[in-house]
Amino acid sequence: MGGKAKPPTASAATTRVMLPADCRIADLPAVKAELQAALSTASAELDASAVERVDTAALQLLAVFRREAASKGLAVAWVGASAALRDAAALLGLAHTLELPAATPA
Amino acid sequence: MSTVSLAQFHQTFFDESREGLDAMETALLALDGGGDTELVHSIFRAAHSIKGGAATFGFPDMAAFTHEAESLLDELRDGRRAIDAGIVELLLRSVDCLRGMFVRAQSGEALADAHSEQLRQELAAAVGREAPAKPSVVKRAETGASAWRIRFTPHRGMLASGNEPLRMFRELAELGELKVEPALGQLPALAALEPSDCHLGWTIELRGKASRAAIAAVFEWVEDECDLSIEELVEVAPEPTAVAAPVAVATPRTSREVAAESSSVRVGIDKIDSLIDLVGELVITQSMLDTFREGFDANRIELLQQGLAQLARHTRSLQESVMGIRMLPIASVFNRFPRMVRDLSQKLGKQVKLELIGEQTELDKTVLEKIGDPLVHLVRNAIDHGLETPDRRRTAGKGDTGTLRLEASHRGGSIVVEISDDGAGLNREAIVAKALQRGLISSGEGMSDEAVAELIFQPGFSTAATTTDLSGRGVGMDVVRRNVVDLGGNVAIRSVAGQGSIFTITLPLTLAIIDGLTAMVGEEHYIVPLASIVESVQLRGDALRTVTGGGELFRFRDSWLPIVRLRDAFGCDGVRADIEHGLVIVVEGEGTHVGLFVDALIGQQQAVVKSLEANYRRVVGISGATILADGSVALIVDVAGLIRQQGRRRVAA
Repeated sequence: MGGKAKPPTASAATTRVMLPADCRIADLPAVKAELQAALSTASAELDASAVERVDTAALQLLAVFRREAASKGLAVAWVGASAALRDAAALLGLAHTLELPAATPA
Repeated sequence: MSTVSLAQFHQTFFDESREGLDAMETALLALDGGGDTELVHSIFRAAHSIKGGAATFGFPDMAAFTHEAESLLDELRDGRRAIDAGIVELLLRSVDCLRGMFVRAQSGEALADAHSEQLRQELAAAVGREAPAKPSVVKRAETGASAWRIRFTPHRGMLASGNEPLRMFRELAELGELKVEPALGQLPALAALEPSDCHLGWTIELRGKASRAAIAAVFEWVEDECDLSIEELVEVAPEPTAVAAPVAVATPRTSREVAAESSSVRVGIDKIDSLIDLVGELVITQSMLDTFREGFDANRIELLQQGLAQLARHTRSLQESVMGIRMLPIASVFNRFPRMVRDLSQKLGKQVKLELIGEQTELDKTVLEKIGDPLVHLVRNAIDHGLETPDRRRTAGKGDTGTLRLEASHRGGSIVVEISDDGAGLNREAIVAKALQRGLISSGEGMSDEAVAELIFQPGFSTAATTTDLSGRGVGMDVVRRNVVDLGGNVAIRSVAGQGSIFTITLPLTLAIIDGLTAMVGEEHYIVPLASIVESVQLRGDALRTVTGGGELFRFRDSWLPIVRLRDAFGCDGVRADIEHGLVIVVEGEGTHVGLFVDALIGQQQAVVKSLEANYRRVVGISGATILADGSVALIVDVAGLIRQQGRRRVAA
């Protein structure tokens, strides 16, 4: 699995997970590690503003993360979501599950 | 993003598809005149390529249309349906209709029209599938009032194999308005999630003017990797009788279907680099030769010669490299055999060990594509008729397991593929008996083993119906030979009773260029392929023996070889020359040697082969033509064909 996960620091108030520009199947293990680390913090922020390419596997990973975060009572906020991500999520009917913000000016 | 980036390939797709349509038409016409299954295969391949391209490049109407044609062709191909004039006519009309679609696609108009829709129905009706449901579905498609519910659950590994639901959903979105409901029930916990596995599923409602086939076409690349159902939604239906029952469709397609053959070649970057290198060398040579443009004096003639020699060398290397681009390893053909051998040997209760040697041997892509079927045939024959059952092997004092070996290698300018087995070998008695029965020979007395083996290549020697009562070989061997000979190659057989048989297929490396020896006969030039030349000799008058029937023999390395006078064989003008005034080129072909008698030799040269068949017609003993440096035409001698012709003449005499 590997990846460059930040060690989970319980003291950190908010973890920000930055999604890569190429957020597709090959790069997901690293993203998953970061998301897993974020689960053990108090609140998390997802930054998808840089995402240019995204695939179903990535959206599935995000959906799993959102669902698990919600069950743990972890607050998750989007600090940015690129058009590519929003389009793909809408197409797969996952925009609601991911609680993506409505279109915001970039 | 998909439409933008794919648009640049549209023209290529159009061009290729038009060629495909032309090929389909030609083949259909030939089929009308009574053709073989090979034609059906080529028609099927062309249709399949067009369907694949149409689906990929976003022409769902065309994909749906071609899909119906393909289904029909599939039935023809499998022999589930006989080919009759009506079907050929229907397919020919489909070709015309597709041409119209391409014209409309190029000008950006809607592809389907009433005519194409009607023809599509005819095709579907001919296949006999969905026939009862068709009318109401079609009505809906035409009025644009259809709605569909698609349940799409990818198998876990679908994403990993590179299939992207996003792409399919985009294509669906082009067919109509989508309402997508994801199924999240199967999602695992984050820690347990392998990101490349797919746990999602979807229920999609599609509203719009779309046919079932167009929807199915979107999923056609993944139909083995997902659970899919497409149901027609009962929409505004006052009386239920008017509505067709929802039919879940998993598009029927045989798994035998191979990936679409494209007419492009993938080239390794190293090959490209070496090409660029060579072109660089050429440019240097050219600039060096360029210095002779301004003023030339005799002192520099040596330099000029050097430059020209360099030019010749580089041109040749460049030519080889360019040819190399079309070269692919034979492994792609060999790869299908392990499975085939396994299945066959199980079915026949035989134990077979398959050895593949020289899989990396490269040959021309065109040759590669066409050699598959003959090889399959020979391998099947070897297992079916060559290798014995374990019982019989034990009786013959051999191990239980028979060995079947496929070996490819380069030999001179040719590729040699050998299919050898350690089975029973040819059954001489059975072959002679069969040939007598078929009237191919009048008596088996005094026939050499080679001549007997040669019989199995005779057309009409054996048909599929008589396979089992012959313990020798020869099922459609004439077809194998014809296929190989069409590629400019040859099949020879060596067989030892009780020890096995070896079939040797010799193929030219490429079909485009041959190395040859130019010879004069009268006023005409002939080119004899270098690959088949053993030696050139001048004979003394007393070295010749005349045999009854008018044949001539000469002594060559402890054996007597027949002489073929090209002047007589090709009916050239001029007086028949004395044997000591000309030269004899000893050539090898069909497993034998003959001497070709010519007036004089000009020299060795490379010949760019032009098809005689395409420009004139097929001529026995001539494999093609080329254009010489002075602009005149020289014919290329088909050594094997010539030997066969002479053999027949001798038998007839």
